[in-house]
Parts: sequence; C-alpha cells; structure tokens
Amino acid sequence: MKRMIFGATALTLLATSAVAQDVTLGRFFGDCEDAGTDTSASVGEACIIQSIINAADAELDGISVNTLPTDWGNYYDQIVAAYAGGTPPNVHVMHRHRVPEFANIGALADLTDDLEGAGIDPSDWEPAALEAVTYNDRIVGVPMDLHANLWHVNMDLMEAAGLVEDGAPILPTSPEEMLEHARAVQEATGQDYLAADFAEFPIGVRVALALIWQQGSNIFDGDTATIDTPETRNAISAITQLFDAGLSNPQLNYADSQQAFLNGEAAVLVNGTWVVDFYAAEAARDDEGLNSYHVADFPTLFDEGATWADSHMWAIPSPLQASDPDTYDAALQVLAFINEHNIDWARTGHMAVRTSVLESGDYAALPHRSEYAGTADIARDTPPSRRYGAIQDVLNRELQAIWLTGKSVDAALADAQADVQDLLDR
Amino acid sequence: MTRYQGTRLALTQRQAAAILLLPFLTVYAVFLVYPFFKGVWISLHDWNLMAVAFNPDAKSYVGLSNYERVMWGSNITWGAWASPGYQFFGLLGLGTSVLLYRTGRAGKVTALAIGIASLLLFVLPGFHPGEDGRWYDRRFWPTVGNTILFVGLAVPGVTITAMLLAAALDGETRAKAVLRTLFFLSQVLSVTVVTLIWQIMFSPRQGLIANVTELVGGSPIVWLTAEGFAMASIVIATIWWSLGIAMILFLAGIQDISKDLYEAGALDNATGAKAFWYITLPNLKRTITLVVVLQIILHFQVFGQSHLMTNGGPNDTTQVLVRYIYQTAFRDSELGRASAMAVFLFVIMGGFSILQFVLGREKDQ
Amino acid sequence: MTRGYYWLIFGLSIPAFIWLVPTIWMVSLSFQPNDLLARTTSSTALGLIPFPFTPDNYIALFRFGQVPMWFLNSLIVSVGMTLAVLAVSTTAGYALARLDFPFKTPIIILCLMGLMVPEQAVFIPLYTMFSDWGWHNSHHALILPRVAVPIGVFLMMQFFKAIPKDIEEAARIDGVGWLQIFWYVMLPLARPAMMTLAILTFLYAWNDYLWPLVSAQQREYFTITLGLASIQSNFAQAEGLGRVMASGVIASLPVVVLFLIFQRYVVRAMTAGGTKG
Repeated sequence: MKRMIFGATALTLLATSAVAQDVTLGRFFGDCEDAGTDTSASVGEACIIQSIINAADAELDGISVNTLPTDWGNYYDQIVAAYAGGTPPNVHVMHRHRVPEFANIGALADLTDDLEGAGIDPSDWEPAALEAVTYNDRIVGVPMDLHANLWHVNMDLMEAAGLVEDGAPILPTSPEEMLEHARAVQEATGQDYLAADFAEFPIGVRVALALIWQQGSNIFDGDTATIDTPETRNAISAITQLFDAGLSNPQLNYADSQQAFLNGEAAVLVNGTWVVDFYAAEAARDDEGLNSYHVADFPTLFDEGATWADSHMWAIPSPLQASDPDTYDAALQVLAFINEHNIDWARTGHMAVRTSVLESGDYAALPHRSEYAGTADIARDTPPSRRYGAIQDVLNRELQAIWLTGKSVDAALADAQADVQDLLDR
Repeated sequence: MTRYQGTRLALTQRQAAAILLLPFLTVYAVFLVYPFFKGVWISLHDWNLMAVAFNPDAKSYVGLSNYERVMWGSNITWGAWASPGYQFFGLLGLGTSVLLYRTGRAGKVTALAIGIASLLLFVLPGFHPGEDGRWYDRRFWPTVGNTILFVGLAVPGVTITAMLLAAALDGETRAKAVLRTLFFLSQVLSVTVVTLIWQIMFSPRQGLIANVTELVGGSPIVWLTAEGFAMASIVIATIWWSLGIAMILFLAGIQDISKDLYEAGALDNATGAKAFWYITLPNLKRTITLVVVLQIILHFQVFGQSHLMTNGGPNDTTQVLVRYIYQTAFRDSELGRASAMAVFLFVIMGGFSILQFVLGREKDQ
Repeated sequence: MTRGYYWLIFGLSIPAFIWLVPTIWMVSLSFQPNDLLARTTSSTALGLIPFPFTPDNYIALFRFGQVPMWFLNSLIVSVGMTLAVLAVSTTAGYALARLDFPFKTPIIILCLMGLMVPEQAVFIPLYTMFSDWGWHNSHHALILPRVAVPIGVFLMMQFFKAIPKDIEEAARIDGVGWLQIFWYVMLPLARPAMMTLAILTFLYAWNDYLWPLVSAQQREYFTITLGLASIQSNFAQAEGLGRVMASGVIASLPVVVLFLIFQRYVVRAMTAGGTKG
C-alpha cells in the first residue's frame, strides 16, 4: 500500500514536471499590464504585486500562475460568489478582517502543518501578523503586510503656516489644537488643512474609529454595540469642527481627495500606507502641486495612540486542499514565493510582516520609512466579527449622513447603534 | 384536409406541435418557472450563500420570518399623517382618479389603476414605528421610497421630453429623420457606458459640467456626493439614456392619428402648439398611458446607475431596491432575505405587467 | 417647406447637439493623452475637440488588457443568445399560432405569465442552480436564462397569426408535412419579424449587466459591458481616463453601427416590444 502511494506520488511528480501546474490567483490592487518580472523596480501596489506574481510564474519550475484581477468595489461579492459557485481561485488575497466570515464556515484551508514543508517559516512573522492569519488556533493564511492610516503631509503648506520644526511637521495633540493648526494653514495659504475620503470608501470611518480608540472606547464589545457614547461624540466633533469652519471638505471622494492633496490644495491627507511610494514619486515630479512630501504617524488627539490598521493576506480555499493536492502544493509554493518577496511588497509603503525583513537594512532604507516608525505600535482594529463588512457599512452610512447630509449626531448614532446591534444579534 | 393526416404525412399535428414546442418549453420550465418557485422557496429559509455552498444542510425553514424581518418592525402603528408628503399625493391621486372617471377623461382601467396606486401611496407610508418601536430593517422602506422617487422623477421626465420631441420630429423630411436618429442614439448604449460618461460629466474636478460652470464663474457642484444632487444626477443620466424608446412609441402613436383631424384643425386656426394641445394630446392618451406603464416597469428595476455612479450614496439617498437585493444576496450572503425582497419586487412588477397587458388589450379592441 | 419649418429644425438642432455632447466628449477624451487628462479635461474647446491628438489609447487597448477578450465574449454571448432565442421563439411561436393541439390555451396562458417575472426576481435562484451544476463562468450560463423569457415567442406568435391561412392550406393539400411547412414556407415569410427579434435580443445581450455580474466572476468570461464596469470602479488608480474612454467607445461601436444600419428594424423592434412586451 505504502509503495503504491509512493509510486503514485512519483508519477504525479513526473506528470507535474512535464505539464506546468496551473495556479489561478485572485486579487484586487488594480491592473498593471507592463509589470515585468523585476520585483525591485515596479512602483505602486498594482505593479509591485503583479511583478512578484510574474516573477513567480517565471521562476517557479513547473508552475504557471494565472492572475484573475478583480476591481476593488466588487471583490468580496465576487469571491463569495465564486466560493458559492464552487470555482474559487486557487489562491487569493483578502483582508484580515474578513477571516472570521470565511473561516467560520470552513472555507479556508488550514495551512498550519504545511507551511514548513513549503519553506514558509511562521516563527519569522511578527506576532500581530501571525494573529491576523490565525483562526481558532489554526493558521489559515499567509500574511503579506500590516497597513494603517497615516498622515500624508505637504511640507510646503505646513512650513508656510509655521507648523514645521526640525524638518518634521508639528502635529496636533488635541482636537482644539488641530483646529488652530487648520486655521493657521488657512490664513497662511488659503488651502484646506485636512483632506480625506469622507464621501465614498470608509476612510472617514477609520479616522473616527482611531479617535474613538484613542479614548479607550470601541464600537462594540462582544455582542453589545457601544456606539452611542460620549467618546464617539468627541471623535465626531473633532472631525466636524473642521468641516463647520470650512477648513476641510467632506464631499471629496477617494480620487478627488487624493487629487486635492497632490495638487497642493490640502496640507494633510489621511490615507493608508499603500500610497507612500506613489506620493513620493508624484512629489519628485517637477510640476505644480505637491513638492515636499512627508509621512507621519496618525497623531494622538486624545489619551492614547491609535490608528486604524488591517492586513493583506493570502489564503487557499479548503476544497482545493481536500481534493487537488498537486495544485494545492503549487499554490503553497506561490505563497512561499510571495512571502519570500515581503521586502518588495513593503516598497509600496506597507509594513512588512517578517521580523527578518523588518530588521534588515534594506527595509530601514526605504523612503520615508523612519517617518512612520511608530505606526506599528499604535495599529488597531475593531474586534473580529463575521459581520465586519456590514458593520463598517453602517458606520460609513451614518457618518456620511452626519457630514454630508446634516443628519443630527443623536439620530445618526442612535440608528448606527441599533443597526450594529442587529448585526451582532444575527 | 384532415383525411390526409396519418396517411401521407409522417407527423400528426400534435406530434409536430410537440416537437416545435419542446425546446422552448424545456428552457422555459428549467430557467424561468422552476427558478421562480425556487426563489419563493428560498425566501422561506434562513439561507447563507457561503454556508450553504459548503454544507447544503446549513439552511433552515423559517416560514415568513424573512418577510417580517425585511418589511415589518416592532410596535408598528398607522397614522393618516405619518408621512404627509407621500400621503398627500396619495389622496390627491385618489381624488384625481375619481374625477377623471366621472368626467369621462379616463377609461375604467386607467382610473382604477391610478386609484389603486394612490390608495397604496396613502396607506403604505402611514405605517410607522410607534413609541419604542422600530423597523427591523431600517433601510428597506427608504430604499423602496428612493426607488419610487427615482421612478417618479425619471418617468415624467422621459415621457414629457419624448412626447414633445416626437410631436416636433414627426414628418418625412430628411432633417427630421437625422434628428430622430441623434436623439435615439444614446438608447443603444449599455448602462456601463452611460454611467461611465456621466460619472465623468458630473465629476467636480474633471467634469464637463464643472468646466462649464467654472467658465461662467460659478463654483462646481459636487453632483454625485451631494445629497440634493445625487438622485438628480442619476435621473438626468437616465433620461438621456432612455428617451429613445418612448420617443419611438410616441411617433408611432402620432402617426396613428388621422391627418383629417389636423386638416380640420387647421381650418379652425389650430396649428403648431395649439394643434398639439387640442388634437395630438387627447388622441395620444392611450399611448401616454402605455409609455408611462412601460417606463415604470423599466425604471423600477434600476440598478446600474445607482450601483456604478453613486454606490447608493450619499447616506443611502440613491440606494434602490434591486441594488439592495443584490447586496443582501452577494455581499451579506443573506439569500433568504434577498429572495423575500425579490418576491416583493415581483409582486409590484407583476401588478404593473397585468396593467400593461390589460391596456394593450384595450388598444386591440 | 415654410420658414417655420426651418426655424423648427434650427431650434431642435441645439438640443440635439447638447444631447450628443456627452458622446462627443467621450470620443474626444479617448483620443487625448492620459497625462494631459490627469491635469485637465478641457484643453481645447472644453475638451470636445481632441487636441493634442493621440491614437495611443486605442493601440494600448488592443496590445494589453482584456478588452479584446471581453469584446469576443460579448460577441459569442450576443450571437449565441440571438440564435437560440430565434430558434425557440420561431418554433414555439409557430406551433402556438397555427397548430391545433390539446392544452393549447393553458400553455399560452402559462407562457404569458412568464412575462410578469422580472429578471431580478429569478436571478438568485438561477445563481444557486448554476452553482450546483458548476455552470458559472461559461458562455452558456450567460446565454440560457434569457432564452427562457417568452417575449420572443409572443412576437413570433403574433406575426404567424397574421399570415393568411391559405398559403399553409395550399401546401397541406400538396401533402407537405407540418415541419416542412414551418421550415420552407413560414420561416422565409417570417424574416422581417425574425430580424426585429434578433436585433432586440442582440441589443439586450450586449448591454445586459446584472446577470453577467453575478454569474461571471472570472474576468476571462466578462462581457465588455461587465468589463467596462470593472474598469470604471478602478479608474482612480487605473490606466487613465483616455484609456477608459477608449474602452467605452469600443464597447459601444458594434451596437451603434448595428443601429445605424438596421435603424428601421430597431424602431420596429422597440415599438413591437413596447406595445406587446
């Protein structure tokens, strides 16, 4: 019997070396057509990840990787639909916050015992990264980064407002101070202080969440929604005071807020780690708009530091592990390759997950890296929940209602509280 | 003729009919009749898309509770002035239908249809949560309301514009034919092209509209994310897109009007706008009703404009029923609830379809 | 031709031009360089004239990217659906209109009821069925649901009913079988109605969005309409406005050309679909 299995394995090996093992890979991050295979030259999330995938396709013997990129907006709808339809990609990227939703029904392969064999060393991962991919004490994914909200700063505008000291921007330490800074920028330059996507994706929600966490509160605790609290009100008024004073425009969506910052129309843009290399490249261009770019940790306006954070990770569907060992092995090799190129992914601006990479000189030498060294320590997120997406949606809707449509904070928070409680009860 | 049957012909009429009908009836049964009943069946279950895919037994029968969860709430009461805006129009419509019928300006069916719609408009918005009560799903009825608002703006917009254009463009000349083609052209574009064009048209930074407003010294409107403008934006895009069919239907209707009427009118000095008001309009009554019903059916199913242009925002002001169904099913994986909403949609659409059918029949008589 | 007539045409040309502006703008943007568009969309005449001019967006579109593949998918799905609809509608329409058989009226009523069911009321169960059968991400999954919609059967039924009986009877007396009559006598007569139905179906297939959105999760099976939606939601970071617009133009070209050639039939299709539909 044993010999038969052995023989079968040998045969399979022969077969795989003869025919390339096709691995389908699902991801977001956008399209990049000309990525090439040079993982150290590409710029921007889309091109860096695609160059890593192309390199895996070229360098891994007997494995060909077929990328199935999907747009951001429908990614999870389509992944869910693909799982339900029995045709999920062999490996796919996802966020840490989605793990409970997928792992809860056993959709993700348990990789715990197979990682070492594939050349992935989980003990090299940072504790936060390991936690991100762990569900019920089993490892269900390979983490790729830790990403968080940062303050992207236009130093020319800050300088003009007298908000630069020792080559670093002076950041507010309280909501009141933030208002003063914003006024100073307005008076000196006529431009807005803060820009962010408050109108489309939940970036405004993440700003509010950070300010809630900074006061030691949270939006839910176990099965109880805790949204309608004084802490939430403080967080919201810290933001809306800027809108009310005309120092920030809540109507800008993601693209518009980014464009405003790049055009030099806002001193600070709140956005994630994923755009650091892109903004650095834009600032280096010799044109109008943003010229002097700096990154800073999300400032502490209340008691303790906190900023919204999440992780990108790669998972393999459990049906593949159960029914197609060859493709499963090939998929693991692809993950090992991506894990190997953690430093290249970190060039986007994301924080690496492997201790050996974090401690390397190459990592420290990445542009602007030292400017947000403190972010890893203050990274936070809401408690894990199967309803994470829906809860974010409720918050996004109600917060937008406050700053875009003038809904009263009382009504919005009461509604958010009830809706989130409903979701937790389901 | 029947005596040839069976002697010289291989197939009887019945056999031939069976062979000819079989392909369609098979496809019809498998891909429409069966799914329809399966949809109703799903709506009676707690059915998580992902969970059931991994374990077919993960669904459970819950009776009508999905309907209750979606459409009802705790402590719901009814008041005649709970939602005066809608209810006022309901009463107004009710009065109009009686008046129209009494004065003979509308047929029985039309009057009845307006009457029923108005009655619903009066009764339904009257429900509201009493003290300490609330809707189980706070978003469902506002979503239905948004859909009705969208229909209420798009349908008259399309109908009136199309009717005026049709009246002006009726005729055999080349110039008119070219103009008809131009106005019709946008109709053949797909919803994704339409939203692509209008998203950028409306963009406050890159949009043509913003460029024009800036040229004349105004500050650009943030169309798609401003509460007051988002719905208007998707309505404008929709009118631009779907004017064609209505215009064609009106042209057909106008051509059916006897030319003698216009000649007689011309003797009484009724030409141009006067002729339109006194001759065209009264004779187009049935076409108008038909276009309106057709448009209601079409626009009640709006999805792409909301999904692609505004993501249902800001603050859900452009969230529409089909998008809510889609999201409930494929984002939240709640197939049971989504199916309950789909059944609701079917009931409304079915009502209008019957109306359309009856009106179509009236025409044939 | 009176003076009033020319005033009317002149007066209508202005709204007609405004009506066309969005389309002109799309075409014009698609011929402008992307780095220019990143800064301004109104370089010449509010951007309505493509200057500076470049064909690069179209070249790039066909060199990389999936637009050609999506285009092909749309073609396969649209043509496939059109043929399938024609096949089942003409046969069933003829049988219902001209043949005599038991349960004819109940069958007609049953089919009529199908007209009341909107696509959105069945797309969830269809989705689960196709999942169970492993049918998603295929061309037939995109084609079949629409073939079951009975509107074509009704269009054909109405048409066949209007053909005079004596043509058929003459053939019967000569001993021609029912199927032969259908094939050799009725189908050739039905050509205009089939044309109408074909165009109606093709336009629908080409422009359908909701069903492809749920059924095709892999980009290889996207139709151009669906693909365009995916490009759109990315365009903040994507290939640039010019490229996106070029994709829009490419996606629209076939239907616009089809419309201009077969305008007569399209108009008839719309009227028929509108009044009977």
